[in-house]
Amino acid sequence: MRRDPLWRAVAMLGVEWRKVALAVALGVLALGSAVALAAVSAWLVARASQMPPVLTLSVATVGVRTFGISRGVFRYLERLASHTVALHGMATLRTEIYSRLAVGRPESVAALRRGDLLARVGADVDAVGDVVVRGLLPAAVALVVSAGSVGLLAAFHGGAAVVLAACLVLAGVLAPWLAAVGARTTESRTSEARAEMAAVSLEIVEHSALLTVSGRLTERLDALRAADSRLTRATDRGARTSGLAAGLGTLAVGLAVLGALVVAVPAVGAGTLDPVELAVVVLTPLAVFEATLVLPGAAIQVQRSRRAARRILALLDDAAPRTGHPLTGQPEAPSRTAHDGLPGGTDGDTDGVLVDARGLACGWPGRRPVLTGLDLTLTPGRSVALVGASGTGKTTTLLTLAGLLPPVGGTLRPDGTAVHDATDAARTAVVTTEDAHVFDTTVLENLRVARGDVTDDEARDALRRAGLGAWLDALPDGLLTQLGSDATTISGGERRRLLAARALCSDAPVLLLDEPTEHLDPQTADTLLRDLLRLGDDPERPRAVVVATHRTAPLVAADEVLVLAHGEVAARGTHDSLLVTHAAYREGIAAEDGGPTAPEETQ
Amino acid sequence: MKPLDPKLLRFARPARGYVVLVALLGATTATLVVAQALLLAACLAPVVSGGVGLADIEEPLRLLAIVVVLRAVVTTVQERYGHRAAARVVDDQREQVVARAAALGPRWAAGGRGMDTVTLVTRGLGDLEPYLVRYLPQLLLAVTVTPATLIVIAGLDWISAVVAAVTIPLVPIFMILVGQLTRSSSERRLVAMQRLGAQVLDLLAGLPTLRAFGRERGPAARVRELGEAYTRTTMRTLRVAFLSGMVLELLTTLSVALVAVGIGMRLVHGDLGLETGLAVLVLAPEVYLPLRQVGAQFHASVDGIAAAQAAFDVLEEEAPQAGRTLAPDLRSAEIRFESVGVAAPGRSLLAPVALSVRLPPGTVLALTGRSGAGKTTAVLALLGLVPPTTGRITVGGQDLADLDPRTWWDQVAWLPQRTTLPPGTLRDALGVVDGSSDDDPALVAALRSTGLDEVLDTLPEGLDTRVGHGGLGLSVGQRQRVALTAALLSPRQLVVLDEPTAHLDTLSEQHVLRSVEALRADGRTVLVVAHRPSLVAVADQVVVVTSAPLPTGPVPARPAVSPSTEARA
Repeated sequence: MRRDPLWRAVAMLGVEWRKVALAVALGVLALGSAVALAAVSAWLVARASQMPPVLTLSVATVGVRTFGISRGVFRYLERLASHTVALHGMATLRTEIYSRLAVGRPESVAALRRGDLLARVGADVDAVGDVVVRGLLPAAVALVVSAGSVGLLAAFHGGAAVVLAACLVLAGVLAPWLAAVGARTTESRTSEARAEMAAVSLEIVEHSALLTVSGRLTERLDALRAADSRLTRATDRGARTSGLAAGLGTLAVGLAVLGALVVAVPAVGAGTLDPVELAVVVLTPLAVFEATLVLPGAAIQVQRSRRAARRILALLDDAAPRTGHPLTGQPEAPSRTAHDGLPGGTDGDTDGVLVDARGLACGWPGRRPVLTGLDLTLTPGRSVALVGASGTGKTTTLLTLAGLLPPVGGTLRPDGTAVHDATDAARTAVVTTEDAHVFDTTVLENLRVARGDVTDDEARDALRRAGLGAWLDALPDGLLTQLGSDATTISGGERRRLLAARALCSDAPVLLLDEPTEHLDPQTADTLLRDLLRLGDDPERPRAVVVATHRTAPLVAADEVLVLAHGEVAARGTHDSLLVTHAAYREGIAAEDGGPTAPEETQ
Repeated sequence: MKPLDPKLLRFARPARGYVVLVALLGATTATLVVAQALLLAACLAPVVSGGVGLADIEEPLRLLAIVVVLRAVVTTVQERYGHRAAARVVDDQREQVVARAAALGPRWAAGGRGMDTVTLVTRGLGDLEPYLVRYLPQLLLAVTVTPATLIVIAGLDWISAVVAAVTIPLVPIFMILVGQLTRSSSERRLVAMQRLGAQVLDLLAGLPTLRAFGRERGPAARVRELGEAYTRTTMRTLRVAFLSGMVLELLTTLSVALVAVGIGMRLVHGDLGLETGLAVLVLAPEVYLPLRQVGAQFHASVDGIAAAQAAFDVLEEEAPQAGRTLAPDLRSAEIRFESVGVAAPGRSLLAPVALSVRLPPGTVLALTGRSGAGKTTAVLALLGLVPPTTGRITVGGQDLADLDPRTWWDQVAWLPQRTTLPPGTLRDALGVVDGSSDDDPALVAALRSTGLDEVLDTLPEGLDTRVGHGGLGLSVGQRQRVALTAALLSPRQLVVLDEPTAHLDTLSEQHVLRSVEALRADGRTVLVVAHRPSLVAVADQVVVVTSAPLPTGPVPARPAVSPSTEARA
């Protein structure tokens, strides 16, 4: 049972079963009222036709009116109760998914296509939550009400009760099963096509300009149309069986009435059944089937929810760390927490070594390492620059030093402890990558990504130091200006400087910066780079800074420069010594300085 | 908000035939419902009052069996074709909305509208399905079955008909009342849902960044808050929407109860026959059933209608009028920016402002300037994706706005600043035709020019490496090399490079320089947005792009062309 993905996912909804039981009870009362209304009014009309004294009918007339009211009231309460349970469950599940991905393997999180993610986190969570309202609850209510109604009829006539039970099985078991069989064979097609449709839709809308100009738009729209028609075909196939199931449901109601007539009419003639009771036996089933008519839909919902649950769990299992501690339900308990303040250099026996790499090999899992044999010791106040051709693994190295990628070889000791715990390393060393995300929120909140308690003044200061002072002054709402999703509303240079400002706001003892000055004009770039390299010299808060860069001129400010080439550290030393010893480094500088400077606007 | 918006029939062609089918099925159902009630009463009454046997009611019983089978057939057909039609309508709307969103261009999609559209087409439009499959048929049953049964009841027992007739108008009155109450909250809910979708996605997309700062745990609370906010918004809507359901259910079941009690009383006094009484008793709930179903499906329909409305809003957005004139051949036509200015969205700024430059065929133009000055916007204007606010761009003397965009774009290869590779293999991304040799000299030369060959050496699968959305595992610089190689391989005359060296280091920058030189040698026209002096150096002319506050007075003029034409030394 616990292996069923649906139950694993339902368990993550954190549903309170007491509330579910309440919803079921309310549902039973609502449908029970409808059945009672049909039974009592049938009795009333049939008995009245025998013209008894009016007083003998008074209980029945009161009953009819009461059931006429109670049904609506109970139904309302049941719907509120069940939807509250489901919606809270969905919120819990969403949070759970986020929390687990947050501590999962970064490469599998990054690997997801965003359109796919959207479909998963949105639609799949809804589908799992819907199983409560549209699957489990109607099934439980139908079971109780059906059993009660069969019991009621059995009190009058056993044969009629058997007929009703058989027809209820037809409508409540066979029809849903049929619907579920159809759903099972087609659902997989639908959800794959749906995910494809979502991914293609996102791609087209997000990159409409590029697709339009390159002429690929028509091809992508065709791909969308193809995904859509696969979706329609799968839906259509499901509709064939669900149509059959619905027909069977309607047929069962009619058969129950016909069957009741066939078995009960002779009983009246034989004198074993009162004629008034015949009306009850024949007309009550008309109301009972309201309980089973929703069950084919419920069965399909269970199928759909199970698939959604399977995808969600596949996503989570894939992101779960392969080694080290397995993911538990509570990812909130890291071995050592160091939230904002960091224990940098507090251990006397490590001489304030913040990061210590020995023979470190860096690479993406499943690929060849891009860099091997890296020895690097970072202490507070030290600044290091990584230079090298693109593709020499600067970004990968920074991600490894930050603990976001597992070392492929060698040892990495974040904060003096030999623990490859990605989360803890991330707290000691923070990295700003080239493609870091700019969130769909305010400028201030985007800076607070680095540190939660960045004040307005600190934010302004960081933006000024990153060369965004004038930009900030021009913003309509200042720090509270909303930036669009992934910074589509700001220019590349502004985005890059915003990321640099964010790094400036961090108080981590180790700052790792990947290409902080691209998209900037040379003067701004060099000034900012020098600024960043000297960031660690603050006597009040000495820290280590590692910058991967293309610009070599300002590296005179770095304590050490590492030249990466051919998968290893080709040369290392100070800027000045490399100018003497390393030809390629010298040529690079020459190319940078030798070219005429573009006329830049001053201001 | 109309229960059946004519716009749906106008915008969604597949919906038309379906509405006709549903109406026919509704009329058939009405006939069968009435027949079933009358036959059931005819079977039951003689037995209850006269104690007759099965043989005496054989005729109505047989007819009843036929009606039962026919009703099952109608239900099957309705369900069978409802889903198909709904899927077609949703697909049709999705394709139209996505195509229109793409046609509306990057400026329209910015500011969250693009993401909202994605949420709409992937999730919101799904609400049309319950609307079409569940709500619409019930709506049509309400206009067929309800009057038919009411007329039959009136013929049988006018007093019951009066009871029913009095309560029926209350149903639409309450529905309209409740509809008014739920409309605004349902629209809010759709907005809340879109926000939620966008924000949770944004947090997930930014998860690597949050992890890089060791701050991935905090936003879990934010995700929970968003979820709880969603729950609160939704429950507020549902409380009202379900209230409508309750009022309707109360009204209808209570009046069925009143009809039943009324029949009972008149039977006791002998004013009514049993068969008539039973027929009315069975028919009375059928009068209300479609109305009740309409009420029960009402909130689903509101969501569906709101989603359709959101789709109509996009579809009614006029895409910019495309020109018809065939674009001149760029091998001979000169491109001119004539005092081009573009208003920055949401800011009182023209970026660029008064940009004037000539780009003769076969030359290399470099655009430089401070970040935010509008270099990329100038590129978008040249591509015809953003209309100039002031001035114009001409090609061979013709206004760009008049040109057929397809014939224009077919001559342009564009490498945007932030490249995203299409899903598929590297081979697909490069636009290499299937079946062509990997040793093709042009391919080998292009790979060498951009240095992509070095990247390929590190990939075990070479050109067959799959690159996901965003180019997984490739650094930004590597991605850029892929896009640059693709641009070099394309035969298009005008090559627009937006900061091609942004992610390349000084040494491999030589690759780009060599590529640009090769393009010029090939007689192609190059527009390159550049900061780097080395890249500026290979340009035939260099123009500084500037921005200025939106003019309240005359726009300051700048020297038209090439402040540093002598730059090529």
